[in-house]
Amino acid sequence: MARRQRVAVVGVGYSTVGRRTGLSLEHLTAQSSVAALADAGLAARDVDGVVVHSFPHQYVGATQAADLIGVPDLAFYSGSVDGAAYSVAALHGIAAVASGSCHTCLTIRTVHQAGAAGGGVPAGDARVGGPRQFLLPYGSFTGAHWAGLYMRRHMHQYGTTEEHFGAFAVAQRDFATRNPDALFREPLSMDDYLGSRYITKPLHLLDCDYPVDSSSALIFTTEERARDLAKKPVFFDAWAMGTTDVVDFNLVEDMTHSSPWRAAKRMWERTDLSPADVDVAGLYDGFTFIAMQWLEALGFCGEGESGPFVAAGETRLGGAIPTNTDGGACNVGRRHGANFFIEVTRQLRGEVGGGRQVPGAEVGVVSNAVGGFAACALLTAS
Amino acid sequence: MLRSTRLAPAGRLEPDARGRSGGEETLTTARPEPRPPLPAPDPLTSFFWEAARRRRLAILRCDDCGWYVHWPRPVCKRCRSFSLTPTEVSGRGTLYSWTVGMQAFHPWFEDRLPYLLAVVELEEQANLKLVTNLVECDESQVEIGMALEVTFEVVSPELTLPMFRPAQGA
Repeated sequence: MARRQRVAVVGVGYSTVGRRTGLSLEHLTAQSSVAALADAGLAARDVDGVVVHSFPHQYVGATQAADLIGVPDLAFYSGSVDGAAYSVAALHGIAAVASGSCHTCLTIRTVHQAGAAGGGVPAGDARVGGPRQFLLPYGSFTGAHWAGLYMRRHMHQYGTTEEHFGAFAVAQRDFATRNPDALFREPLSMDDYLGSRYITKPLHLLDCDYPVDSSSALIFTTEERARDLAKKPVFFDAWAMGTTDVVDFNLVEDMTHSSPWRAAKRMWERTDLSPADVDVAGLYDGFTFIAMQWLEALGFCGEGESGPFVAAGETRLGGAIPTNTDGGACNVGRRHGANFFIEVTRQLRGEVGGGRQVPGAEVGVVSNAVGGFAACALLTAS
Repeated sequence: MLRSTRLAPAGRLEPDARGRSGGEETLTTARPEPRPPLPAPDPLTSFFWEAARRRRLAILRCDDCGWYVHWPRPVCKRCRSFSLTPTEVSGRGTLYSWTVGMQAFHPWFEDRLPYLLAVVELEEQANLKLVTNLVECDESQVEIGMALEVTFEVVSPELTLPMFRPAQGA
């Protein structure tokens, strides 16, 4: 087997993004893939690996994606419907390039707005089997239902308040006002946040990411190949997944110390860098509390202290760790983790502009998911 | 019923054939009464629902090492035995976390808002948890760690749900 290669991000791309675009999953997948190729200055024939992650009911496979855009032969491919969203595709792609299984890997996350909330609600008199038979009769249908439980548990253990979660929503909206690609660009006040309706009290509507049609694609290749391409490469320094003893989101053994803590600990064990070295973060915000659990798990603040940390402005530009500088999925729409990899890549290239660039950013961290499964990665500018 | 926050302790609904309170009989609307989301029991899970119908809470337990597993599964995650038996448990536990359902994601819940959704840790074993509704207590009385006990609500002719209420005498 080839020796381990250093892996670089060399191309990033998005599809058309919005509510009910009318575009098929295949169309969106092809759009983001072609955009990532253009960003990298690569042709489809230069790609020899494709990895996708998808909801099972919205699946466009890796071989199908390759066929769509004319990748002639795949040395490596993989499709997953299990686990931590886009980061699963990313870590498969990184591992494939690092191991020499392929040299240039396209990684894709495509999502349709409709039915995105966990496969939806049974129609009519349809009965539910599997684990959901123990949830739906009690009124637990969506991520919002477990998210409310996680928030309440954190509030109980650490004195966190709704205003603390709101402070995160307000801070990342401030970044979104500087991102021309964000879908929500009006400033958000704490009153706006607190006035947004409860879904599962204490969870407000504005704690939730925004379901859209979108596809995101990133291309990874070896350091040697990356040097010859269009954009300044950024490199994966370390990466890790983590899971919990009990994988189900509702029954997980410790809601305030779920999978992000395991993934983060493992990632820090694999690098010489430390939290103090990180300039910018992209932390998954399927719900605001998830990003806040990552702030604690990654060591940017103490255990249980994410609320006061966020309220003190530490995730804003000029704070200890500027976080979700694109505005997060609450504001750019649900890219299911891929937007963090793309935004942090662009931060380390120094190309985001718009008053949201972290000056001289050299190290970034990205993360995805919570509860039963999670993953994170550390990127460097050189 | 599921409208936990509106049920006074004295007003707890006893199961009847329709699982509905009698007063609603007089409401005549064109809309058919929605049914609750119903489980599709299989050979692994049917014991749970059958026990609930008999007003019992049963959890799968390993014949070889005594470990409880929930949700039902074919294998003990502690000793890898495939020999597990549904076992009645005390129905006592503590509240691990809770949230208030404020939006109906299914027609059944439209006139049952708000409802209390909870994770309860059973006393038999650390981390032996289930998802349930809290009933017979007001939102203002709910506190993580509070002692709870199982109760049973006949929510429809086909479905009796184990739910939890504050432990009597706690």
